[in-house]
Amino acid sequence: MNKVMLGLVLGTVLGLLDGLSAWFTPEVRSLMVGIVIGSTAKGLVAGLLIGWFARKVRSVPLGVLFGLAVGFVLAFIIAAMPNAAGGHYWFEIIVPGTLVGLIVGYATQRYGKSPVPKTA
Amino acid sequence: MSAFPPTRHSAVVAIRSQDPGERSRGYDAIVAAYWRPAYIHLRHRWGAAPEDARDLVQGFFADAFEKGTLERFEPGRARFRTWLRVCLDGYAGHAREAATALKRGGGWTRLALDFDGAERIAGELQAPGADPDEMFRREWARSVLEGALADLSTWAAERGHDTGFRMFLAVDVESDGGARPTYDELAQAHGLPVTTVTNHLHRMRREFRRAALERIRALTLDEQEFRDEARALLGEDPA
Amino acid sequence: MKAPDDATVARLQRILDTPDLGDGRYELGERIGEGGMGVVHVGLDRRLDREVAIKFLRPGALAASDVARLRREALLLARLEHPGIVPVHDLGELPDGGVFLVMKRVRGRGLDAVVQGGVPLGERLRLFLQLADTIAFAHAAGVLHRDLKPANVMVGTFGEVLAMDWGVARVVAGSDATTETRSATPSEGSPPGTGAGTVIGTPGWMAPEQARGDAISSGVRMDVFGLGRMLGMLLEAPGPAGAAARTPPAPLRSIARRATAEAPADRYPDVPEMAADVRRFLDGERVLAHHETPAERVRRVLAPHTIAIVLIGAYVLVRALLFAINRR
Repeated sequence: MNKVMLGLVLGTVLGLLDGLSAWFTPEVRSLMVGIVIGSTAKGLVAGLLIGWFARKVRSVPLGVLFGLAVGFVLAFIIAAMPNAAGGHYWFEIIVPGTLVGLIVGYATQRYGKSPVPKTA
Repeated sequence: MSAFPPTRHSAVVAIRSQDPGERSRGYDAIVAAYWRPAYIHLRHRWGAAPEDARDLVQGFFADAFEKGTLERFEPGRARFRTWLRVCLDGYAGHAREAATALKRGGGWTRLALDFDGAERIAGELQAPGADPDEMFRREWARSVLEGALADLSTWAAERGHDTGFRMFLAVDVESDGGARPTYDELAQAHGLPVTTVTNHLHRMRREFRRAALERIRALTLDEQEFRDEARALLGEDPA
Repeated sequence: MKAPDDATVARLQRILDTPDLGDGRYELGERIGEGGMGVVHVGLDRRLDREVAIKFLRPGALAASDVARLRREALLLARLEHPGIVPVHDLGELPDGGVFLVMKRVRGRGLDAVVQGGVPLGERLRLFLQLADTIAFAHAAGVLHRDLKPANVMVGTFGEVLAMDWGVARVVAGSDATTETRSATPSEGSPPGTGAGTVIGTPGWMAPEQARGDAISSGVRMDVFGLGRMLGMLLEAPGPAGAAARTPPAPLRSIARRATAEAPADRYPDVPEMAADVRRFLDGERVLAHHETPAERVRRVLAPHTIAIVLIGAYVLVRALLFAINRR
């Protein structure tokens, strides 16, 4: 599986799981569908970006940092949206979201198949 | 290179000859190579006084010639050099035990032996306590090299290579560290090109090498012993 | 002429020990090495203006058998063209009848010196595999080395590994060196003076059958043994400075143990099999010579993925912590 596809699949799956884990926060159970869709979409976008980066730059440390940054930024955007009570789930969204970005960043660098260079 | 022909040049073989002339020549060659190591061995290992050592050396070789002691050497069990030293120790031991009055001025008188020179060398050597085997080997090597130099001198004289021989002496024999003449200096001194000096020295060294190996051949019985003694000449005693 | 003094004797001995190349193509330089039979000097090839190594026999080693042996070594090396074998440029005759071998001048260090400097295990194994590939090549060309030891392995300036000193190498019957040659006559293909009953090799590094004077019947497994001893040496060498001293991995010890089995039949059948097992270790696969416990298998499978496992574990932990906090 190439790096972009791996990022896409992994980001989507982890985003989905991340969204489903919101079930453990009772206050938001009623919003599960929206959370799962949003989290899955976030994971898909993050995975695509990180996978594309891994295709261009072959460096585990840089890949991990990029993944961390993308995961953080996207999680921040989501967490910045206020909840029904006007509050924010900063910690509950940003920390796992950043970790997911980190995981996808590492996985795409370590496991994704690199493109074969074009011969002259 | 053809294999070493042991039966042609070896003095160790010659001493077993039925022909008295050949046997005597064989003993001459052996005495020439071993008298000084024997003398120094007697001086240092046995603590013999110079006159006693002189008489013991001459007596030993005369006795060996008479009784055929050295002919009893068996190749494969030891080297001839070792065998000779063991025979010498036996002779010296008997002489000491019997406390016989040593015959002054007798013994092996076929060759003129420079005992004064040997005594000088004995005096310059390290104090007793040095390994007697190693000391004997070193003196044997010195004798062989001295003989090779004499052979080279004869060879050069016969072929009109005196200039080359003198250069060889100046560079490789008589020089010492800083006093060694350069090829340029030799070229100037003899009015020759440097390439000629180089050629002369190459020729002399080549011939010296050949002469030294011939001397060892004369003192060994077979190829293995020859190989071992050639290495011993360089100070590398194979185990 | 009076007897030469000690200094003169030393000078004359040096003359004896330095071969005379005459005024031909090669110019002799300083001595750079010596072994039992030969000495090696740096030299200059005047025709091509390049540095070479020149190997001679010692003055005492001038018997016909020794000369034949050096010739044989030259011919043997000439037929083995491989990056791991020093190329032979020329075989020459000395004015006094001896022969000399002209080879590529190799700059480098002995393998044992290199690994004593604290080389990571992976790098040591890569050096080993280079050597194994060289020996496998020689076997395929019909040549056994028979004297593998660290002193005969050099690591060049660019990390290339060279198998040196093929002086007691043996050409086996036909070109298939993997065929054991029990039926070969003792003198067939061996250097002179190394027939049946002769002990060939170096104590401590040679196979048991070689030490017993049988340097023929076990064929390539003799060299497998030598490589096994070399692998053992490499495993015991220290790691990089500052790294904790670790016991060599069990699979590698198993490889070395199998290669150095007392009975030739218990060793690897050939060098490629042994090298393949080392490569399996490097690739994280199961080593055939090693009986793996279930725990070792789990460790081996999961080890390459340690970081991924830690990251996932961290994510699960964070989720669990968040859950615990929310419950409170």
